[in-house]
Amino acid sequence: MARIEVNHLKYRYPHTENLALNGVSFQIEPGEFIGIIGKNGSGKSTLCQAFTGLIPNFYRGAYGGNVKIGEINVRDVEVDELCQKVGIVFQNPFNQVTGSKLTVYDEIAFGLENLGLTRKEMIRRIDDALEQLDITKFRDRNPFDLSGGQMQRMAIASIIAMNPEIIILDEPTSQLDPQGSEEVFKAVQRLSQKGITIIMVEHKMEKIAAYSDRVMLLDEGKMIDFDTPQKIFSRDDLLEHGVLPPAFTRIGRGLGRKNAATGEYPVTLNEAKEALEGMAV
Amino acid sequence: MMGRLEIKDLHFSYTENEEILKGIDLVLDQQSTAIIGQNGAGKTTFVKLLKGLLQPTSGKIVYNGTDLSSMTVAQIAKHIGMVFQNPNDQIFKNSVIDEVMFGPMQVGMSKEEAKVHAMDALEMVGMEKKCKVNPYDLGLSERKLISIAAILAMDPEVIIFDEPTIAQDYAGKKCIGEIVEHLRNQGKLVLTIIHDMDFVAEHFDRAVVFAKGGVLLDGDPKQVFSRAEILEKAFLEQPNVTRLCHALGYEETFLTTDDFVEYKKGQ
Amino acid sequence: MKSISLYEEKNSTLNHLDSGCKMLYMVAAILVPALIGNKWANVAVIVLSIFLLTISKVLRKTIPVLSVSGIVILTIVIIQGMFRAGNTTVVLQLGPAAFYKEGLLYSLGIALNVFNILLAICVLIFTTKPSDMVENFIEKGFSPRLGYVFISIFQIIPQMMETMNTITDAQRSRGMETEGSLLVRIKAFLPLISPVVMSSLVDTKERAIALEVRGFNAKTKKTFLNERKVTTTDKIINLLLIAAVLASVAWRVKLWLG
Repeated sequence: MARIEVNHLKYRYPHTENLALNGVSFQIEPGEFIGIIGKNGSGKSTLCQAFTGLIPNFYRGAYGGNVKIGEINVRDVEVDELCQKVGIVFQNPFNQVTGSKLTVYDEIAFGLENLGLTRKEMIRRIDDALEQLDITKFRDRNPFDLSGGQMQRMAIASIIAMNPEIIILDEPTSQLDPQGSEEVFKAVQRLSQKGITIIMVEHKMEKIAAYSDRVMLLDEGKMIDFDTPQKIFSRDDLLEHGVLPPAFTRIGRGLGRKNAATGEYPVTLNEAKEALEGMAV
Repeated sequence: MMGRLEIKDLHFSYTENEEILKGIDLVLDQQSTAIIGQNGAGKTTFVKLLKGLLQPTSGKIVYNGTDLSSMTVAQIAKHIGMVFQNPNDQIFKNSVIDEVMFGPMQVGMSKEEAKVHAMDALEMVGMEKKCKVNPYDLGLSERKLISIAAILAMDPEVIIFDEPTIAQDYAGKKCIGEIVEHLRNQGKLVLTIIHDMDFVAEHFDRAVVFAKGGVLLDGDPKQVFSRAEILEKAFLEQPNVTRLCHALGYEETFLTTDDFVEYKKGQ
Repeated sequence: MKSISLYEEKNSTLNHLDSGCKMLYMVAAILVPALIGNKWANVAVIVLSIFLLTISKVLRKTIPVLSVSGIVILTIVIIQGMFRAGNTTVVLQLGPAAFYKEGLLYSLGIALNVFNILLAICVLIFTTKPSDMVENFIEKGFSPRLGYVFISIFQIIPQMMETMNTITDAQRSRGMETEGSLLVRIKAFLPLISPVVMSSLVDTKERAIALEVRGFNAKTKKTFLNERKVTTTDKIINLLLIAAVLASVAWRVKLWLG
């Protein structure tokens, strides 16, 4: 399994003046669930696209430093070669539907056909991906007839079928209703448990806190911090970086309730419950 | 003048065999009201009816004593404004100020009047300094604010938002929350379709839960969000603070972290 | 279903036939009567196409196609019937309008040709999944990109129509009139079309990236999930069709020589 290594990554979009990423360095171990947070324009989506080689290979622009997936330097390989190692899912499920297939089953096959897999291998992988995302029952539906949450899960299944070791999700639930988001989060969690490295950008801090092993805080193209959710959300300067901590952390902070052992504020419902239990009602 | 909408036994269907709205009775006045519910519950259809973009199959909507079906969409636009989900669906002018002046001039304001209203609206969303900029040179969250200003400048008595917080960060949500409260304090009727329950709990006076084309719950957010089982059946969640209180077994329902912290400190 | 594809799965004999076979039928149905150069050949093939459409349960779908082209044909019949150079024999007198035999026969020839071509095309597209057709082409070396554009249009246009509706709603909500006199419509054009263009550009870019990360530009040779089954029946039909074309070529050559 591949380790991700980012060294002094700098990037500027064509026809712009400011650096979208300004000297970012970190490592991600195989199988980690990483949450990326920060205000709009802080470089989150740019970083996501840098993992997949879309930056700089699709967008061009000025690029410095490097992104390594295992031994591969992202910049040196084509996007279609890398897509078998790193998959990416975007915000808008509609725009990820190819529009050239009439059923969910065929839609998932799209990427596999491009890779030239045998029919037998395709069927094995599609069946498996449908199962993992819990959408087997929609296999014969028209992709455009699905709900947002179902469509987004189909998009993830289409990526999973390509067997990547790493999946990047760029605000995958922001266009979905609560039920749809929950379906997507549960599905992603299952993939994470199977050992796939997950990197997710998300504005719902409660979800990030609940699912991530580590959280990366970005601001103005720089990495401010990269640590456990408890450490990140206990920072005093989060609001200055444009991030509101989870409700549970705000309550812990408001009442001065920390975890006695670690000295950190609670970040999830369960942690908050533990910290508050015993306080008089 | 204050806006008051009376909805009487409202039914709507696109096709004969599938009814989208199955008899809605509501009076909307004087409050900021959030309409929540799963996708497909009929929320969007409902607000389209309020804007006259669709006509009811039966029942009626009365705005300040006038049946909406006797007004054209353009006439309704003077009184009831709506901010669509995606700002890209409406922006077409080359400068922010022209974009924001478009609506007011369509509903009959003079150029000077429109300009005054447009500048006021831009100030309210904090974009007055960017009035000469091309909207397409702005980021999506700023374009969203432009699309809000474009409706506020028309000075309608009722303002409807469709998912205003989608893809907004903390600063964006805070700004939109302030706009909602400001409008409400001006005596406007503010309605929104929204999935973000924490935002509803923070900024709205009333929550109406739609499910399967009918109203499932209606009341102040405290009442509505205390009904965990019913919300669950409608595939909705409680706000995070409410969930925590629920998990701790508290009788009382809290909506915001501040309320909760205040309450605990007071003990 | 939000697809404007003309194909509908009816589980008919023609649905199960290989797409190549139906393409060949279309070519043969157009070529054979043209080569033979006899109106009765046209009539025979038209009858055959109608028969095929009937057993495939899609005859009704040809009505809009035929009625639109029927109007065009009718004007041709009227104009040629009345004014064609060389008109001499009056066959029908309607008040001041005289219809001539020569012009009518000439336009009948055009009509038969047009209907024959249309029906042959209908046989192909109403009974064949567009993706089957395109995959067949790609296998023969046709560009996968062009193939993609061709199939995706059927699904992406309805999506664009929906965006268009939302945009119309958004602008009407700002007090803009979209219905009424020509002037009103002209005024409404810019506020409607600019957002459509902008949002299509955004959507297209996002979709291009989504395709890219699914290996759309991979240099490996593409494979296909759906197996192309060319049965013995398909092969026999193909041979018969080719034989028919060859026979009519021979007939034509014989006419020239003789």
